Amino acid sequence: MTGVYIAGAGMTRFERTADASLLSLAATGATKALADADIQPSAVSSLHVGNMLAEATETQAGLANALVSWLGVEGVRADRVENTSASGASAVHRGVEAVASGTSDVALVVGAEKMSVGDTEAVTDTISRLVHAREYVQGITLPSFAGLVANAYLERYDATRAAFTEVAVKNHRNAVNNPVAQFQKMIDAEDVRSSPIVADPLRLYDCCPMSDGAAALVLSRDPGGVHVSGIGSATGTHAVASRSDPLVLESVRTAGERAFDAGALGVDDVDVACIHDAFTVLELLELEELGFYETGTAWRETLDGNTRLDGDVAVNPGGGLKARGHPIGATGVSQLVELTWQLRGDLPPERQVPAAETGFAINVGGFGNNSVCTVVEA
Amino acid sequence: MTDPGTIGTTDLAVEEAFECDACGHRWYYTRARCPNCEGTSASPFGLGTGTVVTWTDARVTPPDVRAPNRLVLADFDGVRLVAQLAGDAVDVGDRVRFAGEYRLREAPGARGPRLTAVEE
Repeated sequence: MTGVYIAGAGMTRFERTADASLLSLAATGATKALADADIQPSAVSSLHVGNMLAEATETQAGLANALVSWLGVEGVRADRVENTSASGASAVHRGVEAVASGTSDVALVVGAEKMSVGDTEAVTDTISRLVHAREYVQGITLPSFAGLVANAYLERYDATRAAFTEVAVKNHRNAVNNPVAQFQKMIDAEDVRSSPIVADPLRLYDCCPMSDGAAALVLSRDPGGVHVSGIGSATGTHAVASRSDPLVLESVRTAGERAFDAGALGVDDVDVACIHDAFTVLELLELEELGFYETGTAWRETLDGNTRLDGDVAVNPGGGLKARGHPIGATGVSQLVELTWQLRGDLPPERQVPAAETGFAINVGGFGNNSVCTVVEA
Repeated sequence: MTDPGTIGTTDLAVEEAFECDACGHRWYYTRARCPNCEGTSASPFGLGTGTVVTWTDARVTPPDVRAPNRLVLADFDGVRLVAQLAGDAVDVGDRVRFAGEYRLREAPGARGPRLTAVEE
């Protein structure tokens, strides 16, 4: 139990190319969360910003400080957290700790990214440089790791590629009625099967897009809203091949244990989960590492429909990274925005997970380098 | 032999791993301490023949990397790494070794051998 509550949540629509600047996106997300919490900016005592690429895209150095004045909250403590793809959830972790410890009464957590700025090659290169130098020299990218792992998964568990396809189809279906999702478009298995190969056996529709967007939370100790029951982060090896097994994501398992232990909860309590599906195979692997399913069985559970909105546990009801989009620093925050809406019962019937009381989110930096898990309760 | 504390700054050839001077443990990815005994001194170790654990053909690659880029995760008696494959496809369990001299990417210094299937 952290004693920290999500008093407000909001986000911009995720999209391929936003007209607004990075700073403006961040401010819009923040303003929506503050309005949702029904508090004035002057009530904020700390600001925690998650972002990866502000310097790489030559957009804005000192993003958190610039956002302070944009929002008119001069005087607050402010910092920016960078943890590659998990920058958003790491900023949430920082904010939760600030409020739980009493050093901040009201924390504003903002995740924002604008990937459409500048040169796509430069952005892609910056992302690919998060790998180990001895991996970089081999031309390895994150999709290549996903391809290596996906082949190992198919071989080891005698799984079918159709399970990867089902993850993509399901997450797109979940996003169709989500107005903040980048892709509000149904796809079918044939769309996935006929899309270009990115890293065999994975195709374009197995991979999340590049996105612009922002998401924000207001955190406070005042009871009300959604309780952050537990939050935990953990790291794994930098180089993927250093692991004992390509199908083991130790940071995922450890962060999950820490978050569940902190909240005195377990996977069986979870009604709705936001899983870091940067690649379809990761949704399956993470569900197994976290204990939602036995090792080597998530592919079958997925094909059986057990991760759909009306399944045992609704996985990625907002569309996940795959269809909601993946504006890197915003993603981890947007997962908690989605869970807040689900647990408050804010959503229309076609989006709402029935009787959702406990939610779970995992945001993963690098290819399993650093994972952040959060458990929330209505 | 590397000096204590310099493991992290030592450039090895692509086909070389690190071998801990204290306990003999081997690893591939540069780090400041031995993952087994925390020793800070290591020497280069030339890798022999390994086994394919998994593979992929990356079709979308950075502009200075070949496309497709066939990559193999191989195990050399416990030392695991991912490297480019030369030649035809391999299957899980096939044996591979480093051979030849290639431009791995256009970046300076990015030259070295590729994994090559070994007939056994």
